[in-house]
Amino acid sequence: MTFVKIDQKKWAEGVSALKKGYQVFGPVKEGKDHEFRKLSGDQMPEMDYGNTRLSPKAAIYPQSEVMFTYTTDERKDDHHILKEPERDETPKAVIGIRPCDAFSFLLVKKNFDTPEYKDPFWLRAYDATTFVGYGCDDPCSSCFCTSAGSGPFDEKGLDVLLVDHEDGYLAKVLTEKGKALTEKAGWTQAFDAGQAEKVFGEKAATAEGKFESQISTDRLADIPSMDLYDAPFWEDIAFSCINCGTCTYLCPTCWCFDIQDECRGCDGVRMRNWDSCMSSLFTLHGSGHNPRGDKVSRVRQRFMHKLKYYVDKYGDGIQCVGCGRCVRKCPVNIDIRKVCEMMNQYDPEAQNECACPTT
Amino acid sequence: MGIEPGRLHFSWISSAESTKFVKVATEVTQAVKELGPNRHFVKEKVKVA
Amino acid sequence: MQEYTDKIRQIARRLLEEGTVDMVIGFRKGSMPIMNEPCMVRRPQDVDQLVWDSNCGINLANYLTDRKEKIGVVAKGCDSRNIVTHIIENKIDRDQLHIIGVPCGAMIDKRKIASLVEGEITDVTETEAGKVIVKGEGFEKSFDKAEVLQENCAICIHRNPVVHDEMVAEPVEEQTDVDRYADIREIEAMSDAERKAFFDDLYKECIRCYACRNACPLCYCPTCFVDESRPQWVGKGQNENDIRTFHFLRAYHCAGRCTDCGACERACPVGIKVRMLTKKLEKDCKELFDWEAGISLENRPPLDAYRPNDPDEFIK
Repeated sequence: MTFVKIDQKKWAEGVSALKKGYQVFGPVKEGKDHEFRKLSGDQMPEMDYGNTRLSPKAAIYPQSEVMFTYTTDERKDDHHILKEPERDETPKAVIGIRPCDAFSFLLVKKNFDTPEYKDPFWLRAYDATTFVGYGCDDPCSSCFCTSAGSGPFDEKGLDVLLVDHEDGYLAKVLTEKGKALTEKAGWTQAFDAGQAEKVFGEKAATAEGKFESQISTDRLADIPSMDLYDAPFWEDIAFSCINCGTCTYLCPTCWCFDIQDECRGCDGVRMRNWDSCMSSLFTLHGSGHNPRGDKVSRVRQRFMHKLKYYVDKYGDGIQCVGCGRCVRKCPVNIDIRKVCEMMNQYDPEAQNECACPTT
Repeated sequence: MGIEPGRLHFSWISSAESTKFVKVATEVTQAVKELGPNRHFVKEKVKVA
Repeated sequence: MQEYTDKIRQIARRLLEEGTVDMVIGFRKGSMPIMNEPCMVRRPQDVDQLVWDSNCGINLANYLTDRKEKIGVVAKGCDSRNIVTHIIENKIDRDQLHIIGVPCGAMIDKRKIASLVEGEITDVTETEAGKVIVKGEGFEKSFDKAEVLQENCAICIHRNPVVHDEMVAEPVEEQTDVDRYADIREIEAMSDAERKAFFDDLYKECIRCYACRNACPLCYCPTCFVDESRPQWVGKGQNENDIRTFHFLRAYHCAGRCTDCGACERACPVGIKVRMLTKKLEKDCKELFDWEAGISLENRPPLDAYRPNDPDEFIK
């Protein structure tokens, strides 16, 4: 592990240099909020941000992605054959990603990269990407990454971690990929490791001390699934939900998609689009039956998936990194921190006196 | 809103007014043909992302 | 505002104790600044959850659709107009409802407030003197409430409930000298190309989460046309034409029904001014048919009634 110092001049030069070998993504201010976008021309990442409005998952996993193209024109030799389109195979660099968001890719990877199934689209994009993180000095009051397996200076899922230092950045090079990127950028001015560790340690301690909110997840694994499923609080939690897809689309760890064919004349594409378990269409069967036909079951599914099924399936924490986006953007203020607390506190034994109405 | 002028027509035709229907349909077709191919609201093939 | 809250709790408790209603739908305090959460209370001992302040912008008529219970519902002016629309459209029965009318003091706009300060907002409070105090890390600012209203509230002319079973307070004075459609006239005055550019820009950030649709009490179709798959009317990707088709058609479905409650705009996670479409239709209904949606239970809406003297000239 090495440390390099990057001053402002080197920073600008480095980002420009990276564009010659990478598709560079970074935070860009659009209106009041920042979003991750592919940086064009002389565009620089705008690093003065808390966190982006949408998560950066689209850099790896676009909201709409063409998987295959096809033609139904029988005069052509390759009719009715799905073909992979040509893609821009240039490696990607995501610059300025917050540690919570970088960590989210590791959670998503558990789903897209299993011994049985590997999602080629996601994996290729992920493997071709170098993540340059940016430590979080000022977490939002609704962030809770420290109690969701991550932290403001967490290194999991990152190749490089930047922190503010003097007039530029100090970079901790964490992987070979990170090393290749910093060399390509010309960020090679070595910095004393002992001193750097001290800077990183102090910054992390300061930032962690600022967290106002946290969740408890210690009991989730031990409460039987069916007890949580049948818990009386779901109707109350779900009441205000309008079943929009805001939480799922903003979430860095929501990975579900829907496959659609679109054609014009004989030529078409098979694409996949983000989907949302909040939509009733998500589970509608061809028969017309819908196993999650009502709102309560859909809301329960979202929280049970993130906070129970995932926990049980992988035995490695919750499917949430504590970025707080869903808390901030939910139109009706459903708060995953509250829901998690209710689930974690739930005692099936104490339910003899049921809190729900007797009607 | 993005729909070219002249492409959207409204009419009120009773089920008994067959000649009016023919007349309006002919006029609408002609008017739209004269405008040439549609330029707005044309969906392009999905880009590879 | 505390009197409103106290009165709402008092009424809710009485209704539940007497058994007049099975549930009361209102708001409870949110976990985020400038946010309250719609909630339902079924037991008298739970009524103390209920609150009222300037963060009750969600339209509660949305929570009544097709319910079978007897319901007490807290309703400000726009909610009551959508309740009327719901009754007219048979989405709820008048006899099922006990409407707890709230003379509305207008709602505040979280985006407007966020745009007036730098940094994260951690607390927003209101004073009796009509000031909104916004606190964040390292700042505290005070605004006149009038400066930070939701846009639809600033131009609202029906703050008092149009239908109610009891009121929590005396009616407030209605605004009369309001120009409701200045922004729409600007759009109308644009050239075709300008207007196209305007709408292209308006929807460019849409992520198709459908929060606008789902927050809207009018959008209760069992299957929305964008969700229909046989036949599929609209593509599901991020194509701009598909996005526009959704917004335009949704707006048309609200023609003559929209009360400009602002729920769509408030719900949008990316801050799209969804009302720019519905307001135009609302203006047209006012000008063509002298119609305002949800004012009376007696009159049929213009688009589901035929009159021989229909003023539409474009139908030839």
